[in-house]
Amino acid sequence: MSARISREDLRKLVAEWLAAGKKVFGPVRVKAGLELYAPLDSAEALLLDGWIRPANSIKELVFPRHEALYGYRILKNRVELVDLAAEIPEQIAIGAHPCDAAALAALDKVFNWDYRDEFYNRRRAATTVITMACAAHDDQCFCTSVGLGPEAERGSDALLHERDGGYEVRAISEKGRILLGGLAGETACPTAQTSGANTPPRRFDSAQVAAFAKEHFEDPYWAERALACLGCGACTFTCPACHCFDMVDEGNGREGVRARNWDACQFPMFTLHASGHNPRANQGARQRQRIYHKFVMYPDKFGEVLCTGCGNCSRNCPVGLGVLPAATEIGNG
Amino acid sequence: MSGSNGFEPKIVAFVCNWCTYLGADLAGTSRLEYPPNVRILRLPCTGRIDTNLVVKAVEGGADAVLVSGCHPGDCHYNAGNYHARRRWMLFRELLDVLGFDMRRIHFTWISAAEGRKFQHVISEITEQTRALGPWRAYEAKAEIDHRGGLVGQAVSPATGRAGPAPALQAPAPLAEQELRDLARRLLGAGDVKVVIGYGAAGPVFVTKAADVERLVWNEGCQANLTTYLKRKEVRALGKPAVVVKGCDERSLVVLEKESQIRREDVRVIGMACDGMGQEKCAACDTHEPRFADERVGKAGGQGGKPAARYAAVEAILAKTPEERLAFWSAEFDRCLKCYACRQVCPMCYCERCIADKNRPQAIDTSPHRKGNFAWHIARAMHLAGRCVGCDECTRACPAGIDLRLLNLTLARAAETQFGYRAGMDPAAEPPIGAYSLQDKEEFIR
Repeated sequence: MSARISREDLRKLVAEWLAAGKKVFGPVRVKAGLELYAPLDSAEALLLDGWIRPANSIKELVFPRHEALYGYRILKNRVELVDLAAEIPEQIAIGAHPCDAAALAALDKVFNWDYRDEFYNRRRAATTVITMACAAHDDQCFCTSVGLGPEAERGSDALLHERDGGYEVRAISEKGRILLGGLAGETACPTAQTSGANTPPRRFDSAQVAAFAKEHFEDPYWAERALACLGCGACTFTCPACHCFDMVDEGNGREGVRARNWDACQFPMFTLHASGHNPRANQGARQRQRIYHKFVMYPDKFGEVLCTGCGNCSRNCPVGLGVLPAATEIGNG
Repeated sequence: MSGSNGFEPKIVAFVCNWCTYLGADLAGTSRLEYPPNVRILRLPCTGRIDTNLVVKAVEGGADAVLVSGCHPGDCHYNAGNYHARRRWMLFRELLDVLGFDMRRIHFTWISAAEGRKFQHVISEITEQTRALGPWRAYEAKAEIDHRGGLVGQAVSPATGRAGPAPALQAPAPLAEQELRDLARRLLGAGDVKVVIGYGAAGPVFVTKAADVERLVWNEGCQANLTTYLKRKEVRALGKPAVVVKGCDERSLVVLEKESQIRREDVRVIGMACDGMGQEKCAACDTHEPRFADERVGKAGGQGGKPAARYAAVEAILAKTPEERLAFWSAEFDRCLKCYACRQVCPMCYCERCIADKNRPQAIDTSPHRKGNFAWHIARAMHLAGRCVGCDECTRACPAGIDLRLLNLTLARAAETQFGYRAGMDPAAEPPIGAYSLQDKEEFIR
């Protein structure tokens, strides 16, 4: 059966985790109008309501924006590699939304497909995701259009449902069970809602989006749609599921690190060849790529859409683009 | 020589080839002893010393930085030192607001004949820096987890300033219909091929008279659409008309001055505006467009406090340098390097940005604190005396970084030191690229 926890007890739990040296990551209000998932320095900083979703995502926990992979030292006749592997502290995401958690399940596939990415996996193994079912949605939310919902379980280790001033707690995975112990119940929340104020309407059909992208690859639609696009990476960097990265060496003539940083398909440099040729020569091709990857390429390989409907791309786009406006146009036959 | 704790300061001196370097040479040949703490980097001219080099020195662990060149009137290239002096007048104000320790940033004039002055300057700076101790600038303080463990500093709900100012009054009088009629006329007559305007969900590019209903004019029209004039996909559409507010219009003045647009190639539709509820609107003094070819609407009240436009800069300057550095560290730690600030900026039109150049890598691409400080300093300096304060960078930033404060800092410096405000007067001489023999140099010895 499910179990309950009061808001006060939830904060106490967070305080206990922090006191035990665990890294706890949750929504905080950075300044007026800006909520972000960030490491909590106190249980009080955890923002339990008053927001739809933070402007970033919890992918930073498993796939940081900057990650040094190994160091190097240049010696007289050779280069010595330095192992930077360190213990990843146990980390907990609390208050993540189902659209964040589901993205981790998608990332798991990418980072373990043809190659097991040890850097991703060690962070993933150290991470427990306690998801908060959504109590509300806004006009940018579209989880129901990509096969998810405000109470979806994919990628979560435990799920909290806000009920009567407290939360019903349910463990979903072994990790969640271990972390929450006796606090969590096992069965689905008896009062779980499948529709209501927290459920955005279905705004498009993702199969139709895929079909359009396949059949209209060379359509002028893409260039027209992309006219306003500025070519920044705000959409991809705040997307819970986008996972492209760049490799850089940073250091001086004696030593340095090889690191990976987030990269974005919206940057012209992303596909620029050394020859000067750029296979994605214009912003239309780059906008198409983002839709195509999410609705065609990834599903062809892994059987699900690489978009969890969080709406972050549109909320963060300075010029009102993102997945939703395009998908509503091409995914409503 | 070394202090009791064994600390030996590292001083990086960027000197010009013709005066200070020869002055150092003379000191050597004259057997004048000076501390070996200085690392001299010779450049052709102080006018050539990119401010990014100072940032690089700080990143590399310098405890003090010296820039030194020819005395006024002495420059081998006639005026390189005047240009340097002027750039430093602006740069120093930026570093000050960022919370840099200004006691460690030195500027001198040393001629080829002043071996003794070189000796004295180096000795003094070395002693002074030794007393100050190691420079714990942002990098030293950063505790950057190079393994990427942290997502920026932990942020507390208390940080950050108040949100945007409320709208001064109700949104500008609805001039939407007038705008649509005008667009229909311009497109119908073939005067322009595209009208770049505001739509319900972002910028729209109206190419047919029948589509003018897509244009809107409401309190959501915050974007500065002049940024699209530089985009080649938009240029390919043919002659544009662009919808601007009085504030956006200023960027056209700068773009024309910098030969990025020809005024006759753009039809400008100026909208009278009572404010869009943004922070900048509270100090607006350009409610009415001034240079537009077509004008729509009439601004209601004036409102606002133009005189208070730099209040935010003065507020941060009231804090201690340590507090400022901590503030900016927390701000920059949120930076994702998505470059929305650059992409949205009408003034950022370089074909290839310095941040994208990697031979050599002028600015670390990594979004760690070091790379973020370097990027935001470079961006602010490249906009010095050019930024028109449209605040698009701040609006576009998904991490809510207070970028406007950096731009305001340099705008304030340009106005207080040179009486210049970018984009206000087409006839005024921009501060960067010009110089005056009367420029202040109280910071130079």
